[in-house]
Amino acid sequence: MQRLITKQDLVNKLTELLKDFEVVGPKELSNKGIFYQVIEDAKELYLGQDFAIEPIKKFFLEPSSWILRHAKDDVSLESFPQSDKKRIVIGARPCEAKGLALLDKLFDSEYKDDFYINNRKRTIVVGLACAKPDMSCFCTSMQGSPAETSGMDALIFESGDGFIIELVTDKAKHILGSIGEDIKEDQKLNKDKMKALVKKVIKTPESLDKVFESDYWDEVSRPCISCGVCTFLCPTCHCFDLVDEEKKRMRCYDGCSFPDFTLEASGVNPRPTKKERYRQRVFHKFDYFKKNFGENLCVGCGRCIRHCPVKIDIADIVDKAPI
Amino acid sequence: MIDQIKTKAKELLKTKKVDIVIGYKKASDRIGAIPAFIDKEGDIDKLIWDGYCVYNLSNYLKDFPGKKIGIVTKGCDAKSMTVLLQENQLKREDIFIIGIECSGIVDEKRKGGDIAYDERCKGCKPATPPIYDVLIKEEEKKQAPRLEQDPYESVRKLETKSIEEKFKFWQDEFSRCIRCYACRQICPLCYCPRCVAEQTQPAWFSKAVSVEGNFSWNVNRAMHLAGRCIDCGECERACPAGIPLRDINKKIEKDVKELFSYEAGVDTEQKPLFSSFDKNDPEDFIK
Amino acid sequence: MSEWEPKIVGFLCNWCSYAGADLAGTSRLEYPPNIRIIRLPCSGRVNPLFILKCLSNGADGVLISGCHIGDCHYSEGNFYARRRFAVLKKLLEYLGIDPRRFQMSWVSASEGDKWARLVTELVEEIKQAGPNKDFVRKND
Repeated sequence: MQRLITKQDLVNKLTELLKDFEVVGPKELSNKGIFYQVIEDAKELYLGQDFAIEPIKKFFLEPSSWILRHAKDDVSLESFPQSDKKRIVIGARPCEAKGLALLDKLFDSEYKDDFYINNRKRTIVVGLACAKPDMSCFCTSMQGSPAETSGMDALIFESGDGFIIELVTDKAKHILGSIGEDIKEDQKLNKDKMKALVKKVIKTPESLDKVFESDYWDEVSRPCISCGVCTFLCPTCHCFDLVDEEKKRMRCYDGCSFPDFTLEASGVNPRPTKKERYRQRVFHKFDYFKKNFGENLCVGCGRCIRHCPVKIDIADIVDKAPI
Repeated sequence: MIDQIKTKAKELLKTKKVDIVIGYKKASDRIGAIPAFIDKEGDIDKLIWDGYCVYNLSNYLKDFPGKKIGIVTKGCDAKSMTVLLQENQLKREDIFIIGIECSGIVDEKRKGGDIAYDERCKGCKPATPPIYDVLIKEEEKKQAPRLEQDPYESVRKLETKSIEEKFKFWQDEFSRCIRCYACRQICPLCYCPRCVAEQTQPAWFSKAVSVEGNFSWNVNRAMHLAGRCIDCGECERACPAGIPLRDINKKIEKDVKELFSYEAGVDTEQKPLFSSFDKNDPEDFIK
Repeated sequence: MSEWEPKIVGFLCNWCSYAGADLAGTSRLEYPPNIRIIRLPCSGRVNPLFILKCLSNGADGVLISGCHIGDCHYSEGNFYARRRFAVLKKLLEYLGIDPRRFQMSWVSASEGDKWARLVTELVEEIKQAGPNKDFVRKND
């Protein structure tokens, strides 16, 4: 269901929703870029075409969150209470929302992650279609597109002065269905045309098994500095560490690029060099996950390429893998 | 200029003077550069030199223990090698420094695509590396605009604010820190085999992305670089959250200059700041 | 609720300041009980991380005290400490930590009266600075 709305409609609706909902959306911080933050005034919202630095993932799988603590009796353990405040995320990009759909496969399948599921359930995701993918974007090679709706409840498109809103789920229809006006047939969007906006196209091999032992990984991982930018900014990377601090247990992001990610208590590290670590990242995304869940664990958002301090290009590396 | 670099690299590899040459090559986007590691003569043509060669390559020296390395080096990068030599992290005979008389590098974060010189180049005085084995000069003089501005301008501006304002400012900045440790990993002088941030017994500061954890991490990082940081600016460039890390490093640089007349990275024979002292060091803050 | 009393951590060198504090005690000098003393071999042993850890764990102030310059049991320990904390003190102030919260002093083994006076003044200053709320690990 598509509807035509004006900017003012959207701002008014959000202002109304602010009473009952926590609203999360992109904000522009001067000279720093775009960041997703909790919005207190609908006018703060940035609905331009620049990409946020961090993906929306951080509101579902938090950078660090407390999960367990000692109960009052100091003997037993109890789960940390979780917020049930309703949330609406606005302005997430199709690739980031697809990242959530991929995380659902992992955290809401055989293994149920209560914290993630709770965050997912209490949130409505309203996406913003991309009109200006940049040269790092390669979502179309990852079965996505600038107008993909997977993982979303609704998607808005820039259209002239206003927006077209596509309502995907009943949840969204219930809350946002009343704004704007019905769209005429000739105003409907040609989504396939939008795919052509993405210029970077790569091929991904069915399986990378054959190149596991290749020297290729040695070569491509050399510039890597083992920081956590690519994993922390990835909409699909989900590895975490458990840390106990003062009678509480926390989980926080961890990444396979860090040297101590696989360090064992004995002192042995099964992935001692950058080669093994970088290969792991590529294999997890383009081989192991595909074998387990049928899709690449990559949405082609291009964040790891855009923000890599030494410009390592994972898409290029997968594309050129010597299969 | 690039021809001279290539010729030198070829000669070094041919005569087996070095095992590997670290330089720059074109990145996949065809605009930027990416570090290149050349160990075969056939690959030498990949080498490039332009304003996008922003990285401080001395960070990679630790990746090749026991090997002889030829390294393409800008003025600021050579200063970090000076510190590494001071601290016995390198053997001078193991490295061959192909010094570049740098004419300034590009500000990558600047939007709009116009080529602008990076903020960090503006205060840079010696474009010529303090140490080198061969110096390659820019043919035409197209030096970065060396502004006559005070290199500590932004530091001084912050210093005049009230304590509450300063705390608010840094709290806002640090609140965006995601603890990816890119600042640490990109720094050629952060070479500890195990960082305090990874220690768990004791855990010196919280791993949580919190005011306290982020603050402690950033203070700790800055203190470990006190009197060592040569202001190559890589930490600030690498930071995805845009935290003005150079403003912290430069504050210490300024204090150290004022208090102890000490400057990092100018002389390989100089003793590290905190491993030396002067009997007349100021102590007006001590009761 | 009773009136707020500051908590102060003191890192004291074994040879001078600790003995000085001891002398204040044996001389029956009175000073506020707000300081918790940690004995270290030398003021040069203090790592900047100690200060950060104290402040983030809820201390309202931190004091480092060692031998007067020239008196160090290990000849030069306090020279190194002096350099290190001159830099840290300025840095903390720059980052918005009240400079009153981190202080340093030289107290010799014979200066029991100086110790008592110093702590009294310190407690007064930190009372004025108020509780350390900003830079503390939140407990939830």
